[in-house]
Amino acid sequence: MARYGMVIDLKRCYGCYACMLACKVANHTPPNVFWSRILKGESGTFPNVVRQALPVLCFHCESPGCVKVCPTKATYANEDGVVVIDKNVCVGCKYCLMGCPYGARYTVKEWKSYFPEGLPLSEFEQFQKNAWEEKSGCGVATKCDFCTARRKEGKEPACVAACPANARIFGDLDDPNSEASLRIKRDRGFVLKPEQGTNPKVYYLAPR
Amino acid sequence: MNSKLFGLVQTEWRWLIAIYLFLAGAGSGAHITGVYADFLGWSKVAAIGVCLGWPCVLIGCMCLLGDLGQIKNAWRVARKPDTSWIARGTIIISIFMIIGFVHTVLWIWPGIMAGTDDGARHFLGALGAFFAFGTMVYTGLLLGDAIPIPFWSTVLLPILFFVSALSTGIMAVVLAGVITGVDQEQLLGLGRVDILVIVVEGLVLAAYLHGSYRLPNSRMSAEHLLRGEAAGMFWGGVGVCGLLIPLVFEALGVHGVGAVAASILGLIGGLCLRYVVLAGGAMYPMSAAGFEFRPVCRPKDPMPAIGKLPPS
Repeated sequence: MARYGMVIDLKRCYGCYACMLACKVANHTPPNVFWSRILKGESGTFPNVVRQALPVLCFHCESPGCVKVCPTKATYANEDGVVVIDKNVCVGCKYCLMGCPYGARYTVKEWKSYFPEGLPLSEFEQFQKNAWEEKSGCGVATKCDFCTARRKEGKEPACVAACPANARIFGDLDDPNSEASLRIKRDRGFVLKPEQGTNPKVYYLAPR
Repeated sequence: MNSKLFGLVQTEWRWLIAIYLFLAGAGSGAHITGVYADFLGWSKVAAIGVCLGWPCVLIGCMCLLGDLGQIKNAWRVARKPDTSWIARGTIIISIFMIIGFVHTVLWIWPGIMAGTDDGARHFLGALGAFFAFGTMVYTGLLLGDAIPIPFWSTVLLPILFFVSALSTGIMAVVLAGVITGVDQEQLLGLGRVDILVIVVEGLVLAAYLHGSYRLPNSRMSAEHLLRGEAAGMFWGGVGVCGLLIPLVFEALGVHGVGAVAASILGLIGGLCLRYVVLAGGAMYPMSAAGFEFRPVCRPKDPMPAIGKLPPS
């Protein structure tokens, strides 16, 4: 069975937010929900300052903190190693939002449009609303699922496909010859907050 | 929003959860106070404590249910007691409430076995006190098990919540006792116990904040309480209302209206303590290759342009 993971090359990422938008387009996430997002960091002192972008998403950890704290067994790792949420079981206690060290989880009380309140929903907005409620739902925890729907069609996750710098590599970490596994090995991939003991499956390659 | 905590602080658990943690603590504290009074033979204080205990916890649980996003799934909440503290807590609190309810029905109101069988009453009271202790500690362990939030993930938090729960429980019993006209000496006796509890609570709180401040990962949370945006509620609500005023009033042996005021302020302080601890719950930023990464926009804050019609 595959064990999906991702490698993000920080040398290539220039923080254009294309992945963030592609995720929104692919998953119809409402306002203030960012399954894929970009953080920015600075280092050095003036005038020698460097800025670096850090794309983050759900890291689909091997021992996920969110799964540990969930009281209802609503969130679990499926056979592909992808951590998913059963929206019919989730109680919406938001404990998993506290249990994830990476802030990858979001919840919305009710669906909101991007456009001002009081305007009638357009056909596209109605479609987005239905898609969100069918897939993720309101009041429950939601997060990235490595674009399950796109993978079923044989496509890569939206953020990977959208990256103009080819900074993201998606692949099977169980296969030692997949590009992702090779890059992790060759370029010494590292994970974020390793001290949390979650063993993320999203690896990063150093910016310099 | 404090710029340092921006994008890192949890915004999902607010007042409803604070009220839940507070009522669960105060209710179980009142039950323990009642059982303690029962062993001393103060039957009226004991009745107040036990009758106040489980209903408080029940109201708290209603607040927790109100905070759930999908209440129709609430029955599943005890499905994973092996790893989740919410599931364990549900079981502990349910047992506590059942014992409190049975105790009340059998010996207080309607009092089927009132005045008889002291041994069984003491046994059930002690069993209830055991689960009340579990409830008090659980409120701290619930937050303490959120390992990514270093401000909560410390052994001092369950101790702090336990001591605060005991103190607020005593104050709730004193409050109800003054209103229902219980013997003054017994209430003053409880007040003297509370002095000790408040002193310990102050020491534990100081140790908790000191420890959080010394650890780099939770330092911003401690700063948020000590001189950040929660400072007003922390110093005014927790420090003055919750600790100082009840301590002074109880040390002076004030009774009547003064005791009512001190107890109410003390209870408000207990609620403020839960709220500021929740408000300080922030993760530490991710860092890699010498950079510390933070969100540039506020992903969880509504942007002014979204969801509102522009002013015409």
